[in-house]
Amino acid sequence: MDEKTTYFNDLLVRFEEIAYQELSGMIRAKVEYVGTDFLKSKKIEGDTVEKVVDSCIKEIKAGGLVEELTYSRAGGGLLLTFNVKNCIHLPMEAKLRDGLKNEGGVEPYLCPIANMILDRILNILKFEMVFKAQMEPDANKGECVVKCAIYESKEKVGQVWT
Amino acid sequence: MADILDIISSRRSIRRFTDDPVPDEVIDRLIEAARWAPSGENEQPWRLIVVRDPETKAKIAEIAKLGTGGRVTAEFSLSDYWQRHFAGVKNPETRARLFRTMYTGQASEFAGNAPVVIVVVGELDDMFDTPYDLSCCIMSLLLEAHSIGLGACWVHGPSVYPSLVKRMKELLKVPTGMGQYKLIATVSLGWPAESPKARDKKEFEDIVYWEEFGRKERP
Repeated sequence: MDEKTTYFNDLLVRFEEIAYQELSGMIRAKVEYVGTDFLKSKKIEGDTVEKVVDSCIKEIKAGGLVEELTYSRAGGGLLLTFNVKNCIHLPMEAKLRDGLKNEGGVEPYLCPIANMILDRILNILKFEMVFKAQMEPDANKGECVVKCAIYESKEKVGQVWT
Repeated sequence: MADILDIISSRRSIRRFTDDPVPDEVIDRLIEAARWAPSGENEQPWRLIVVRDPETKAKIAEIAKLGTGGRVTAEFSLSDYWQRHFAGVKNPETRARLFRTMYTGQASEFAGNAPVVIVVVGELDDMFDTPYDLSCCIMSLLLEAHSIGLGACWVHGPSVYPSLVKRMKELLKVPTGMGQYKLIATVSLGWPAESPKARDKKEFEDIVYWEEFGRKERP
Protein backbone atom coordinates (compact mmCIF):
# COMPACT_ATOMS: atom_id res chain seq x y z
CA MET A 1 0.00 0.00 0.00
CA ASP A 2 1.54 3.32 -1.03
CA GLU A 3 1.97 6.14 1.43
CA LYS A 4 -0.80 8.31 -0.03
CA THR A 5 -3.38 5.52 0.22
CA THR A 6 -2.28 4.78 3.78
CA TYR A 7 -2.64 8.46 4.57
CA PHE A 8 -6.18 8.68 3.15
CA ASN A 9 -7.19 5.45 4.87
CA ASP A 10 -5.93 6.86 8.16
CA LEU A 11 -8.07 9.95 7.61
CA LEU A 12 -11.09 7.73 7.07
CA VAL A 13 -10.31 5.74 10.20
CA ARG A 14 -10.35 8.89 12.30
CA PHE A 15 -13.55 10.12 10.66
CA GLU A 16 -15.20 6.76 11.27
CA GLU A 17 -14.18 6.86 14.92
CA ILE A 18 -15.54 10.36 15.39
CA ALA A 19 -18.78 9.60 13.58
CA TYR A 20 -19.31 6.46 15.69
CA GLN A 21 -18.57 8.38 18.87
CA GLU A 22 -21.16 11.01 17.88
CA LEU A 23 -23.92 8.81 16.59
CA SER A 24 -23.36 5.25 17.93
CA GLY A 25 -24.67 2.24 15.99
CA MET A 26 -27.00 4.10 13.65
CA ILE A 27 -24.00 5.71 11.95
CA ARG A 28 -23.73 2.66 9.68
CA ALA A 29 -26.99 3.66 8.03
CA LYS A 30 -25.94 7.28 7.65
CA VAL A 31 -22.82 6.80 5.54
CA GLU A 32 -24.49 5.40 2.44
CA TYR A 33 -23.23 8.27 0.23
CA VAL A 34 -19.54 7.79 1.13
CA GLY A 35 -17.76 6.49 -1.95
CA THR A 36 -20.63 7.03 -4.38
CA ASP A 37 -18.94 9.81 -6.36
CA PHE A 38 -16.41 7.45 -7.91
CA LEU A 39 -18.94 5.69 -10.14
CA LYS A 40 -21.12 8.72 -10.81
CA SER A 41 -18.52 9.99 -13.25
CA LYS A 42 -18.26 6.62 -15.02
CA LYS A 43 -20.51 5.18 -17.68
CA ILE A 44 -22.45 2.58 -15.74
CA GLU A 45 -25.24 0.92 -17.69
CA GLY A 46 -27.63 -2.00 -17.51
CA ASP A 47 -31.24 -2.93 -17.14
CA THR A 48 -30.71 -5.71 -14.62
CA VAL A 49 -28.91 -5.95 -11.29
CA GLU A 50 -26.33 -8.25 -12.82
CA LYS A 51 -25.56 -5.94 -15.74
CA VAL A 52 -25.26 -2.88 -13.51
CA VAL A 53 -23.07 -4.69 -10.96
CA ASP A 54 -20.85 -6.13 -13.69
CA SER A 55 -20.46 -2.67 -15.16
CA CYS A 56 -19.58 -1.25 -11.72
CA ILE A 57 -17.04 -3.99 -11.03
CA LYS A 58 -15.29 -3.34 -14.33
CA GLU A 59 -14.76 0.32 -13.39
CA ILE A 60 -13.83 -0.44 -9.77
CA LYS A 61 -11.15 -2.90 -10.85
CA ALA A 62 -9.93 -0.60 -13.60
CA GLY A 63 -9.59 2.13 -11.00
CA GLY A 64 -7.41 -0.12 -8.87
CA LEU A 65 -9.73 0.00 -5.86
CA VAL A 66 -9.85 -3.77 -5.51
CA GLU A 67 -7.89 -6.70 -6.90
CA GLU A 68 -10.90 -8.95 -7.30
CA LEU A 69 -14.62 -8.48 -6.73
CA THR A 70 -17.25 -11.15 -7.19
CA TYR A 71 -20.87 -11.29 -6.12
CA SER A 72 -23.80 -13.61 -5.68
CA ARG A 73 -27.53 -13.21 -5.17
CA ALA A 74 -29.78 -15.16 -2.83
CA GLY A 75 -32.79 -14.60 -0.62
CA GLY A 76 -35.15 -14.45 -3.56
CA GLY A 77 -32.99 -11.77 -5.14
CA LEU A 78 -32.97 -9.52 -2.09
CA LEU A 79 -29.55 -10.52 -0.76
CA LEU A 80 -26.56 -9.29 -2.73
CA THR A 81 -23.25 -10.55 -1.34
CA PHE A 82 -19.91 -9.13 -2.42
CA ASN A 83 -16.62 -10.97 -1.98
CA VAL A 84 -13.88 -8.39 -2.18
CA LYS A 85 -10.20 -9.27 -2.43
CA ASN A 86 -7.44 -6.85 -1.53
CA CYS A 87 -9.57 -3.73 -1.35
CA ILE A 88 -7.59 -0.51 -0.83
CA HIS A 89 -9.73 0.13 2.26
CA LEU A 90 -9.01 -3.21 3.95
CA PRO A 91 -6.10 -1.80 6.00
CA MET A 92 -8.45 0.93 7.20
CA GLU A 93 -10.99 -1.61 8.42
CA ALA A 94 -8.28 -3.70 10.08
CA LYS A 95 -6.88 -0.65 11.83
CA LEU A 96 -10.29 0.45 12.96
CA ARG A 97 -11.10 -2.93 14.46
CA ASP A 98 -7.73 -4.10 15.74
CA GLY A 99 -5.01 -1.52 15.42
CA LEU A 100 -6.78 0.99 17.58
CA LYS A 101 -8.01 -1.48 20.16
CA ASN A 102 -5.97 0.18 22.87
CA GLU A 103 -7.89 3.34 22.14
CA GLY A 104 -11.20 1.56 22.21
CA GLY A 105 -11.63 0.01 18.79
CA VAL A 106 -14.67 0.38 16.55
CA GLU A 107 -16.34 -2.35 14.52
CA PRO A 108 -15.93 -1.40 10.83
CA TYR A 109 -19.17 -0.16 9.36
CA LEU A 110 -18.28 1.81 6.24
CA CYS A 111 -17.78 0.15 2.85
CA PRO A 112 -17.30 2.69 0.05
CA ILE A 113 -17.19 -0.11 -2.54
CA ALA A 114 -20.62 -1.48 -1.60
CA ASN A 115 -21.97 2.06 -1.27
CA MET A 116 -20.99 3.02 -4.80
CA ILE A 117 -22.55 -0.11 -6.32
CA LEU A 118 -25.74 0.14 -4.27
CA ASP A 119 -26.07 3.80 -5.25
CA ARG A 120 -25.97 2.83 -8.94
CA ILE A 121 -28.59 0.11 -8.38
CA LEU A 122 -30.79 2.63 -6.61
CA ASN A 123 -30.45 5.34 -9.22
CA ILE A 124 -30.08 3.47 -12.51
CA LEU A 125 -32.57 0.69 -11.84
CA LYS A 126 -34.80 2.93 -9.68
CA PHE A 127 -34.91 0.47 -6.82
CA GLU A 128 -36.98 1.48 -3.82
CA MET A 129 -34.31 0.93 -1.20
CA VAL A 130 -30.85 -0.54 -0.69
CA PHE A 131 -29.14 -1.36 2.59
CA LYS A 132 -25.64 -2.52 3.46
CA ALA A 133 -26.40 -4.97 6.23
CA GLN A 134 -23.14 -6.66 7.19
CA MET A 135 -19.45 -6.56 6.46
CA GLU A 136 -16.80 -9.02 7.57
CA PRO A 137 -13.30 -7.83 6.73
CA ASP A 138 -10.50 -10.35 7.22
CA ALA A 139 -7.16 -8.61 6.90
CA ASN A 140 -5.22 -11.85 7.28
CA LYS A 141 -6.86 -13.35 4.21
CA GLY A 142 -6.99 -10.01 2.41
CA GLU A 143 -10.71 -10.45 1.91
CA CYS A 144 -13.97 -8.86 2.88
CA VAL A 145 -17.51 -10.20 2.60
CA VAL A 146 -20.23 -7.56 2.38
CA LYS A 147 -23.91 -8.48 2.57
CA CYS A 148 -26.49 -6.06 1.23
CA ALA A 149 -30.25 -6.02 0.81
CA ILE A 150 -31.75 -4.58 -2.37
CA TYR A 151 -35.47 -3.90 -2.68
CA GLU A 152 -36.85 -3.45 -6.15
CA SER A 153 -40.25 -2.37 -4.86
CA LYS A 154 -42.04 -1.56 -1.60
CA GLU A 155 -43.65 -4.99 -1.70
CA LYS A 156 -40.25 -6.65 -1.39
CA VAL A 157 -39.67 -5.07 2.02
CA GLY A 158 -40.65 -7.56 4.71
CA GLN A 159 -39.96 -10.66 2.63
CA VAL A 160 -37.50 -12.23 5.03
CA TRP A 161 -35.31 -15.07 3.84
CA THR A 162 -33.43 -17.92 5.51
CA MET B 1 -48.23 23.13 40.36
CA ALA B 2 -47.92 19.43 39.48
CA ASP B 3 -44.58 17.82 40.13
CA ILE B 4 -42.90 17.55 36.73
CA LEU B 5 -41.56 14.14 37.76
CA ASP B 6 -45.13 12.79 37.74
CA ILE B 7 -45.52 14.00 34.18
CA ILE B 8 -42.15 12.62 33.13
CA SER B 9 -42.70 9.19 34.69
CA SER B 10 -46.27 8.73 33.46
CA ARG B 11 -45.48 9.60 29.84
CA ARG B 12 -45.70 6.73 27.36
CA SER B 13 -44.95 6.46 23.66
CA ILE B 14 -48.38 6.48 22.04
CA ARG B 15 -48.74 5.13 18.51
CA ARG B 16 -52.53 4.78 18.24
CA PHE B 17 -54.79 7.79 18.15
CA THR B 18 -58.46 8.61 18.02
CA ASP B 19 -59.81 10.49 15.01
CA ASP B 20 -60.56 13.54 17.15
CA PRO B 21 -58.86 16.63 15.80
CA VAL B 22 -56.18 18.46 17.73
CA PRO B 23 -57.24 22.11 18.03
CA ASP B 24 -54.91 24.88 16.91
CA GLU B 25 -54.58 26.28 20.42
CA VAL B 26 -53.31 22.89 21.62
CA ILE B 27 -50.74 22.75 18.83
CA ASP B 28 -49.68 26.28 19.74
CA ARG B 29 -49.03 25.16 23.33
CA LEU B 30 -46.79 22.36 22.08
CA ILE B 31 -44.83 24.76 19.93
CA GLU B 32 -44.56 27.13 22.87
CA ALA B 33 -43.10 24.33 25.01
CA ALA B 34 -40.64 23.45 22.27
CA ARG B 35 -39.67 27.11 21.94
CA TRP B 36 -38.51 27.21 25.56
CA ALA B 37 -36.12 24.26 25.28
CA PRO B 38 -32.46 24.86 26.15
CA SER B 39 -29.93 25.19 23.35
CA GLY B 40 -26.19 25.65 23.16
CA GLU B 41 -25.34 29.34 23.11
CA ASN B 42 -29.08 29.95 22.84
CA GLU B 43 -28.90 29.27 19.11
CA GLN B 44 -32.42 27.80 18.92
CA PRO B 45 -31.79 25.99 15.63
CA TRP B 46 -35.20 24.26 15.62
CA ARG B 47 -37.87 24.65 12.97
CA LEU B 48 -41.13 22.74 13.39
CA ILE B 49 -43.25 21.74 10.41
CA VAL B 50 -46.82 20.97 11.48
CA VAL B 51 -48.33 18.48 9.05
CA ARG B 52 -52.06 17.72 9.01
CA ASP B 53 -52.60 16.99 5.33
CA PRO B 54 -53.53 13.27 5.08
CA GLU B 55 -51.65 12.75 1.83
CA THR B 56 -48.43 14.22 3.21
CA LYS B 57 -48.75 12.21 6.42
CA ALA B 58 -49.25 9.05 4.37
CA LYS B 59 -46.07 9.76 2.42
CA ILE B 60 -44.12 10.40 5.62
CA ALA B 61 -45.40 7.09 6.97
CA GLU B 62 -44.40 5.33 3.76
CA ILE B 63 -40.83 6.65 3.98
CA ALA B 64 -40.58 5.68 7.66
CA LYS B 65 -41.96 2.22 6.92
CA LEU B 66 -39.43 1.73 4.12
CA GLY B 67 -36.53 2.72 6.37
CA THR B 68 -37.41 0.41 9.22
CA GLY B 69 -38.61 -2.45 7.03
CA GLY B 70 -35.62 -2.32 4.70
CA ARG B 71 -33.18 -2.50 7.55
CA VAL B 72 -34.98 -5.05 9.70
CA THR B 73 -35.80 -7.42 6.84
CA ALA B 74 -32.06 -7.76 6.24
CA GLU B 75 -31.13 -7.90 9.92
CA PHE B 76 -33.83 -10.45 10.67
CA SER B 77 -32.69 -12.63 7.78
CA LEU B 78 -28.96 -12.42 8.45
CA SER B 79 -28.59 -12.39 12.23
CA ASP B 80 -30.25 -13.28 15.51
CA TYR B 81 -30.34 -9.67 16.70
CA TRP B 82 -34.13 -9.42 16.68
CA GLN B 83 -34.58 -12.84 18.28
CA ARG B 84 -32.33 -11.63 21.12
CA HIS B 85 -34.07 -8.26 21.24
CA PHE B 86 -37.45 -9.88 21.83
CA ALA B 87 -36.13 -12.81 23.87
CA GLY B 88 -38.14 -11.66 26.87
CA VAL B 89 -41.42 -12.11 24.99
CA LYS B 90 -42.37 -15.68 25.81
CA ASN B 91 -45.61 -16.03 23.85
CA PRO B 92 -44.59 -17.31 20.38
CA GLU B 93 -47.55 -15.67 18.67
CA THR B 94 -46.76 -12.33 20.24
CA ARG B 95 -43.11 -12.71 19.28
CA ALA B 96 -44.05 -13.55 15.70
CA ARG B 97 -46.34 -10.53 15.56
CA LEU B 98 -43.59 -8.27 16.88
CA PHE B 99 -41.09 -9.62 14.37
CA ARG B 100 -43.57 -9.08 11.55
CA THR B 101 -44.31 -5.55 12.73
CA MET B 102 -40.59 -4.76 12.60
CA TYR B 103 -39.52 -6.38 9.35
CA THR B 104 -42.50 -5.12 7.39
CA GLY B 105 -41.79 -1.65 8.74
CA GLN B 106 -45.32 -1.34 10.14
CA ALA B 107 -43.79 -0.37 13.46
CA SER B 108 -42.87 3.00 11.99
CA GLU B 109 -45.85 3.83 9.82
CA PHE B 110 -48.13 5.17 12.56
CA ALA B 111 -47.50 8.73 11.39
CA GLY B 112 -50.08 8.03 8.71
CA ASN B 113 -52.79 7.52 11.33
CA ALA B 114 -51.89 10.43 13.60
CA PRO B 115 -54.00 13.59 13.39
CA VAL B 116 -50.84 15.69 13.52
CA VAL B 117 -47.22 15.04 12.64
CA ILE B 118 -44.63 17.58 13.66
CA VAL B 119 -41.44 17.26 11.66
CA VAL B 120 -38.46 18.62 13.55
CA VAL B 121 -35.64 20.11 11.52
CA GLY B 122 -32.73 22.24 12.60
CA GLU B 123 -30.49 24.86 11.07
CA LEU B 124 -26.91 23.71 10.59
CA ASP B 125 -25.23 26.77 9.16
CA ASP B 126 -23.24 28.59 11.84
CA MET B 127 -24.60 26.32 14.59
CA PHE B 128 -22.70 24.20 17.08
CA ASP B 129 -25.04 21.74 18.75
CA THR B 130 -27.97 21.26 16.41
CA PRO B 131 -28.79 17.54 17.00
CA TYR B 132 -28.63 17.88 20.77
CA ASP B 133 -30.64 21.10 20.81
CA LEU B 134 -33.31 19.43 18.69
CA SER B 135 -33.49 16.46 21.06
CA CYS B 136 -34.17 18.81 24.00
CA CYS B 137 -36.79 20.61 21.94
CA ILE B 138 -38.56 17.32 21.20
CA MET B 139 -38.53 16.32 24.88
CA SER B 140 -40.15 19.61 25.87
CA LEU B 141 -42.80 19.10 23.23
CA LEU B 142 -43.48 15.50 24.33
CA LEU B 143 -43.85 16.46 27.98
CA GLU B 144 -46.22 19.31 27.22
CA ALA B 145 -48.26 16.98 24.99
CA HIS B 146 -48.55 14.44 27.80
CA SER B 147 -49.36 17.07 30.40
CA ILE B 148 -52.44 18.14 28.45
CA GLY B 149 -53.57 14.58 27.70
CA LEU B 150 -52.22 14.11 24.20
CA GLY B 151 -50.37 11.00 23.14
CA ALA B 152 -47.20 11.24 21.11
CA CYS B 153 -44.23 9.29 19.84
CA TRP B 154 -41.09 10.57 18.20
CA VAL B 155 -39.21 8.59 15.62
CA HIS B 156 -35.66 9.19 14.50
CA GLY B 157 -34.58 5.76 13.27
CA PRO B 158 -36.25 5.55 9.87
CA SER B 159 -35.17 9.08 8.99
CA VAL B 160 -31.45 8.40 9.13
CA TYR B 161 -30.70 7.16 5.63
CA PRO B 162 -29.55 10.15 3.59
CA SER B 163 -31.47 8.91 0.54
CA LEU B 164 -34.73 8.67 2.51
CA VAL B 165 -34.10 11.93 4.35
CA LYS B 166 -33.71 13.58 0.95
CA ARG B 167 -37.11 12.23 -0.08
CA MET B 168 -38.64 13.52 3.13
CA LYS B 169 -37.04 16.95 2.67
CA GLU B 170 -38.27 17.18 -0.91
CA LEU B 171 -41.76 16.22 0.22
CA LEU B 172 -41.79 19.00 2.80
CA LYS B 173 -39.82 21.48 0.70
CA VAL B 174 -36.96 21.60 3.20
CA PRO B 175 -33.70 22.69 1.52
CA THR B 176 -31.87 19.45 0.70
CA GLY B 177 -28.24 20.58 1.00
CA MET B 178 -26.40 18.50 3.58
CA GLY B 179 -25.04 21.67 5.17
CA GLN B 180 -28.36 23.47 5.44
CA TYR B 181 -30.90 21.71 7.64
CA LYS B 182 -30.87 18.50 9.64
CA LEU B 183 -34.10 16.55 9.68
CA ILE B 184 -33.93 14.73 12.97
CA ALA B 185 -37.34 13.25 13.70
CA THR B 186 -41.05 13.13 13.24
CA VAL B 187 -43.34 13.47 16.24
CA SER B 188 -46.74 11.86 15.67
CA LEU B 189 -49.43 13.02 18.05
CA GLY B 190 -53.12 13.00 18.77
CA TRP B 191 -55.58 11.97 21.47
CA PRO B 192 -54.50 8.53 22.70
CA ALA B 193 -56.42 5.40 21.70
CA GLU B 194 -54.21 3.14 23.81
CA SER B 195 -52.75 3.20 27.31
CA PRO B 196 -49.65 1.05 27.27
CA LYS B 197 -48.03 -0.17 30.45
CA ALA B 198 -44.71 1.31 31.48
CA ARG B 199 -41.71 -0.25 29.75
CA ASP B 200 -38.99 -1.77 31.89
CA LYS B 201 -36.60 0.85 33.14
CA LYS B 202 -33.08 0.28 34.42
CA GLU B 203 -32.80 0.54 38.16
CA PHE B 204 -31.50 3.70 39.79
CA GLU B 205 -28.36 1.97 41.04
CA ASP B 206 -27.65 0.56 37.59
CA ILE B 207 -27.30 3.95 35.96
CA VAL B 208 -25.65 6.13 38.57
CA TYR B 209 -22.04 6.32 39.69
CA TRP B 210 -20.66 8.54 42.38
CA GLU B 211 -17.67 10.82 41.88
CA GLU B 212 -16.17 8.58 39.19
CA PHE B 213 -17.28 6.14 36.51
CA GLY B 214 -18.04 2.72 37.95
CA ARG B 215 -18.17 3.73 41.61
CA LYS B 216 -21.51 2.56 42.96
CA GLU B 217 -21.25 3.46 46.63
CA ARG B 218 -22.73 6.81 47.51
CA PRO B 219 -20.08 8.63 49.60
